[in-house]
Amino acid sequence: MTPTSSGKRQSGNPATQAAIDLTVKQQREQQKQQKLAEYERGLARRRRSRLTWWIVGSTAALVVIGLVAASIIFAPKPATYDAGGTGAEIEGVETFTNETKHVEGTVDYPQNPPAGGPHNQYWLNCGVYDQPQQNENAVHSLEHGAIWVTYDAARVSGDELATLRSLLPSTYAILSPYEGLPSPIVVSGWNTQLKVDSASDPRIAEFFEEYWRSQNVPEPGAPCTGAIDGPGKQS
Amino acid sequence: MTDAADGPAGAVAAAAERRTAPPWWALALVAVALIAAAFAIGRFTTFAAAPALPTTDSPEAGFARDMQVHHGQAIEMAMDIYRTTVNDGVRVLAYDIATTQSAQKGEFYDWLVKWNLPQRGGPLMSWMDASDSAHQHGAASASASDDDLMAQMGMASAADLAQLRAESGAAADCTFLRLMIRHHEGALPMAQALLDLGHEPRALQVAASIRATQSAEIELMTSLRAGLACTD
Repeated sequence: MTPTSSGKRQSGNPATQAAIDLTVKQQREQQKQQKLAEYERGLARRRRSRLTWWIVGSTAALVVIGLVAASIIFAPKPATYDAGGTGAEIEGVETFTNETKHVEGTVDYPQNPPAGGPHNQYWLNCGVYDQPQQNENAVHSLEHGAIWVTYDAARVSGDELATLRSLLPSTYAILSPYEGLPSPIVVSGWNTQLKVDSASDPRIAEFFEEYWRSQNVPEPGAPCTGAIDGPGKQS
Repeated sequence: MTDAADGPAGAVAAAAERRTAPPWWALALVAVALIAAAFAIGRFTTFAAAPALPTTDSPEAGFARDMQVHHGQAIEMAMDIYRTTVNDGVRVLAYDIATTQSAQKGEFYDWLVKWNLPQRGGPLMSWMDASDSAHQHGAASASASDDDLMAQMGMASAADLAQLRAESGAAADCTFLRLMIRHHEGALPMAQALLDLGHEPRALQVAASIRATQSAEIELMTSLRAGLACTD
């Protein structure tokens, strides 16, 4: 027979002591349960507050990261322009390293036509010429930031020559025929050159935007007037 | 049993202790977050202060490009007459114009360098279209050739320059003064257009001084012409 607890409480026999003991045990058990419940409530509270801290903390972290990112992304940028860039971005442009000094007589230039190097002290006045020009004078104009547009007269004439001429700025540009060109049109600045087949090639305008009166020539801002006119000057 | 009772109580006490003293890494994270936030706020405060550089289509850039073309010819003419004139008044004026405008031309060049803009831009005077000065100047016509536009800017034609070089003595002085008065008169609407349309402080300052000094030089050149009894 299994005694029930209610039976034990009601009993007046020696089992009563055991029942009292049991009651103390139960009371202790009860206290223990209460403490345990309190502990678990505390644990739950801590769990909740820890969760709150995680939410607050990670939100704050995201806000701070966002602030830093925004301060970098939305920073005002200096104005830039896309065309040309470093020169390598215009397809087909070659660059060189030439020395700059004044010499007498003729010079054997490494590029054809020359794109920089030793030159005569008289620069060639900028403008449109219908005859070939002296390399040593034209190179001095390149040193001052001019662009020299040379063409093969046998392959470029009439409307195409007029188109080529229309691409030139009013100053700091030389147009002249040239003997023995490697392509119908060659556009040269100091230490830079572009060979094209036709005056309608959009890279000619890009070349002018990038290299015309470049700050990278040895004497930027020096004139392309006031020295000598070559033969056959049209304007 | 006592262990079981102390365990939870001890844990609660420890938790209470942890609440009062957050771990070092939490403090470090908060510090890092505060520094990062301060850094970001510091960057934000520079946004308004950072001056927006003129763009390639701006009146400042257009003025810098066209005034270099304009000044370039004034220097060329001044150097031509400087070599040949025998009139001291004309010679010192030519020296003044050539050196002053060379310095200004260099400054315009450097504006474009500093603003990361190409020296090459759109058609001459196209930046003036929005200004009243453009209409006096006749700049609105988009199809005009460079020669027409340069004439509208008061610049000398190839024939004018050839005449100046062919002449000598008082005739050359008179031609130089006539061409240079017209040249200066062409600069005034350009300077005015920049004052109307521009924002960059230094560019506005230079435009105002060009307007003032070139107006004064026009008066000087007019009186020099009177002294030379020019009739052209």
